[in-house]
Amino acid sequence: MHDILNYSLADFFFNDNKNVLRPPTDFTEWMSDPRVQHGYSFFEQQLLAAPKVSTQILSNLDHQKRDIINLTSYNYLGLSTHPEVLAAAKEGLERYGLGASGAPLLSGTFDLHVKFARMLADFKQKEDCILYSSGFGGNVGAIQGLMRKGDVLILDEKCHKSLIDGGTLAQTKTMFFDHNDTNSLEQMLEKSKDKRVLVVVEGVYSMDGDLVDLPNVVKVCKAYDAPIYIDEAHSTLMFGENGRGVAEHFGLEEEVGISFGTLSKSFGGVGGFICSTADTVRYLKGYSSPWNFSCAPSPPVVAGLIKALEVATRDSTLRDRMWANTAYLKKHLLDMKLDLGKTESQVIPIIIGPSGEKLMGFAEQMQKRGLFLQPVDFPAVPAHARRFRMSVSSQLTQEEMDRTLNIIEDVVVKGLRS
Amino acid sequence: MTKEEVIEVIKRNIVDNLDDVEEANIDPQKSMKDYGANSLDMIEVVSTSMRELNIKIPRAELADIATIDQLADKFMEYVDK
Repeated sequence: MHDILNYSLADFFFNDNKNVLRPPTDFTEWMSDPRVQHGYSFFEQQLLAAPKVSTQILSNLDHQKRDIINLTSYNYLGLSTHPEVLAAAKEGLERYGLGASGAPLLSGTFDLHVKFARMLADFKQKEDCILYSSGFGGNVGAIQGLMRKGDVLILDEKCHKSLIDGGTLAQTKTMFFDHNDTNSLEQMLEKSKDKRVLVVVEGVYSMDGDLVDLPNVVKVCKAYDAPIYIDEAHSTLMFGENGRGVAEHFGLEEEVGISFGTLSKSFGGVGGFICSTADTVRYLKGYSSPWNFSCAPSPPVVAGLIKALEVATRDSTLRDRMWANTAYLKKHLLDMKLDLGKTESQVIPIIIGPSGEKLMGFAEQMQKRGLFLQPVDFPAVPAHARRFRMSVSSQLTQEEMDRTLNIIEDVVVKGLRS
Repeated sequence: MTKEEVIEVIKRNIVDNLDDVEEANIDPQKSMKDYGANSLDMIEVVSTSMRELNIKIPRAELADIATIDQLADKFMEYVDK
């Protein structure tokens, strides 16, 4: 294989080996190359403590334990280690044990699950809510549970893999409209006029940090009587006056038929949830396989999540701090003339450009200086726009932000100039 | 192998992977998107065509290709090498 560094995971999906347990021969050759292995050393690095801003990793680069400023975890509001959340989870653990020991339909539904689902439905101002053990499972399960072969799933081209996989499982015809382009969306709806359709958008797009153009999406969807599904994985508890998400931010919650959220990001736990009408939730409980055939969410985690929702919504302290930190970092990164794309959220991309070598080189230097900012490479993002993705947390102190900015200036800004 | 033959391979895979497209109606100056392909369909067409032609091109090199004709040109750089 020549020009080995031009290859990526996008190139080894199909396997011509007769034995399915043998990966493609050229994949094994590619993965064995020391340069590829070096690139992969950034992944699956072990955290040795909680995913706080100040934590410790076991670096794959040199096998050293390293204290780092962590701007990669999605612990946006610091709730995964909030003392009240931990106390509630411990109490849940004592009372209910570690696991639910059953699928929700038969024996896995605890009073905690019912209470939390009710709280989430009230919070999102929808009639009912269904909880999933994973966020991925929630998106897959909602699409698979509601859509059938011959239906048309219309996704923004930057939607998450879980939404695409939901369509694959449901055997829908899946169409992608150009990112945030409502003319493109309208063309797809026009082509699908006689079909059952669902339009799917995200509140905050996770690789770019920009928001859905919800006012115009709503306008177009109304004209075609097309229901809207919004994935608020990176926006729940942070956007809107009450933290309900981007739909609240735009004052359009009633126009959204289904609101999805994850419990692993701002909530600090794990799982996913769908809020919608009571009828839709009831129907999903009949047909959504990741709900029907998975063990229910772990009770101590749910106990912690109930407290996390209380803490995050009793006032706006945590999200105000997160937004103040976001504004500070963004201002100084822009002052350094870095390309932050069109971010409008706590997800801040630092776009490096087409050079994978620069991306990995900067990542290594920053990590060795004590900043854990993971590189995002093609095919996760376009080959001409490789980047770092900063997840801003309410936990960041002034000192940590200034140290972060110093490291970025020394490594990235100077490195891009040379 | 000629470029025309490469285009035939691509066209055949478009027909196999997309609904309601006839080979005779495919214009190489257009994009697969014009025939209703989404990004997953395009990966499928490109992958099956490459396998048929016994070539392998990194995806990163295909990112800026806009038309079927340009795809055939790129394939020709690798065919019979």
